[in-house]
Amino acid sequence: MKIVFLLEERSMKITLEGVLPRLIPGVDFQCIPHAGKQDLEASIPRKLHAWREPGIRFVIVHDQDSSDCKKLKKKLIELCKEGGRADSVVRIICHELEAWFLGDLIAVEKAFGKKGLSKNRKRKRFRNPDSLANPFQELKKMIPEYQKLSGARKIAPLLDLETPGAHSLAVFLNKIREIVISNPRQ
Amino acid sequence: MKIVELNIKNYRVFRDARLREVPDLCVLVGANGSGKSTLFDVFSFLKDALTLNVTKAFMRRGGFSEVVTRDSKGPIEIEVKFRESGGRLATYSLQISSDNGKGIVEREILKFRRGQRGQPWHFLNFSRGSGFAIVNEEDYGDPHAEPKREEQALESPDILAIKGLGQFQRFRIVSEFRRLIENWHISDFHIQDARPSAEEGLAEHLSSRGENLSLVAQYLHDYHPEVFGEILERMKSRVPGIQTVDAKPTEDGRILLRFQDGAFKDPFIARYVSDGTIKMFAYLVLLFDPTPFPLLAVEEPENQLYPVLLGELCEEFRAYAERGGQVFVSTHSPDFLNAVRLEEIYWLSKNNGITEISKASSNERLKRLVDEGDLPGVLWNQGLFEGADPQI
Repeated sequence: MKIVFLLEERSMKITLEGVLPRLIPGVDFQCIPHAGKQDLEASIPRKLHAWREPGIRFVIVHDQDSSDCKKLKKKLIELCKEGGRADSVVRIICHELEAWFLGDLIAVEKAFGKKGLSKNRKRKRFRNPDSLANPFQELKKMIPEYQKLSGARKIAPLLDLETPGAHSLAVFLNKIREIVISNPRQ
Repeated sequence: MKIVELNIKNYRVFRDARLREVPDLCVLVGANGSGKSTLFDVFSFLKDALTLNVTKAFMRRGGFSEVVTRDSKGPIEIEVKFRESGGRLATYSLQISSDNGKGIVEREILKFRRGQRGQPWHFLNFSRGSGFAIVNEEDYGDPHAEPKREEQALESPDILAIKGLGQFQRFRIVSEFRRLIENWHISDFHIQDARPSAEEGLAEHLSSRGENLSLVAQYLHDYHPEVFGEILERMKSRVPGIQTVDAKPTEDGRILLRFQDGAFKDPFIARYVSDGTIKMFAYLVLLFDPTPFPLLAVEEPENQLYPVLLGELCEEFRAYAERGGQVFVSTHSPDFLNAVRLEEIYWLSKNNGITEISKASSNERLKRLVDEGDLPGVLWNQGLFEGADPQI
């Protein structure tokens, strides 16, 4: 099988490329970044239509923005149906990618060589990073040199996949494992 | 006369590369260092080998050992398939090596493609400075005709036979091919070179670096006013404020390029005009050339230009090709690529130091995605030209 991930932007692609080879070793995957939400939404039916490989599964990864989560998911599922692939998986993941990183301050500490940073992980706000209003700003406060792309490149390969800190990351990883288990190798 | 295929062996990053079904407008994308400029350099090398000789063509590039693919002994092989003006497919192939710093033409052949009646005729067949040419080319295709060969010797084994024989009108196809290669033109426009005034004189074509821009502008203004008018119209719509451009002789016998902005009384001389304005004007002067180059190459035309203008610039490249030239463009701009047709796009991917060339329209998935409404530049940005992105 092969999983094609349709993503909103490039930092998520870099993150998944640091995570997936460890999460689902040996499974073929491709990450396609887009230029934001609207570009992604326009692209979904086209990509689903045009891709004709057997044994392919699509995963649509969308940030949770201010809009109603259920409505958004429904809209994306509609787009998948329009593309002729109702079996696609739609994941509304987190408010901002940085929430995943803040949930794993041990990885952040290692990635940036900031000794002692991980002791903050006991603090209440970092035990539930999904509830943070502005994860990017929070991370930037701790790591002033943090940049979205190079930061993801440093942190993602170090993320703990067995006991992820962020609940949304845990749910996402489980969903991917599930897809692989339910699709025996072809 | 158009090039339809190019095969390169052992030339720098091209150990064995093929550019297939070359369209009139051929657009190349690929990471830095993947070989886009080297592909252009293959034509420049041929031109140097033709107008000078093979030894000098190597010397300009640091010697044979710098040109031949790493870990390869050669020979370097360049094969150009082209449609001659009579509509037939012809193949020119060249094998070259080096002996103690001197270039050697191991083999040089010009022939029509196999598969037509009988054996293909070798109009040229030379090796190390001697060989033969066919003198009754007009009889080709007549089932009873026999080729008439004429033995020839060249002055030196590093001289191309197309140079020696191409000057004679009786070798029609040879001289046609020679003219094509001789007229290979790379536009490597340098704004700093184009800004100063040029000494008075006559220039019909924009030079490679563009330093004769003011002379060509004056030439078009004087001898092709309708073309110059068209260029001005396009300048006005693309560069806000521009009313007119002229080339004015100065007292010391130079030609000064001036841009008139509608908001100001006095025109700006080129030195004070923005890079993008000069560049757009230079491209229009290049592309509206009343006698186009048969082979034109342009590297990264997008630099300094506003993205919205690139779509129309692309159309102008295509129009130039449709008027008779063949145009090769390298680009890093998704906006430019969005205006290009899939069958005009090739991408270069480098693996272990060796470059492969892929034709975008040979990729079924890309074709279907474009059919679904995706634009080529967008697909390229999304990483769907597999192997084109740098491996970071």
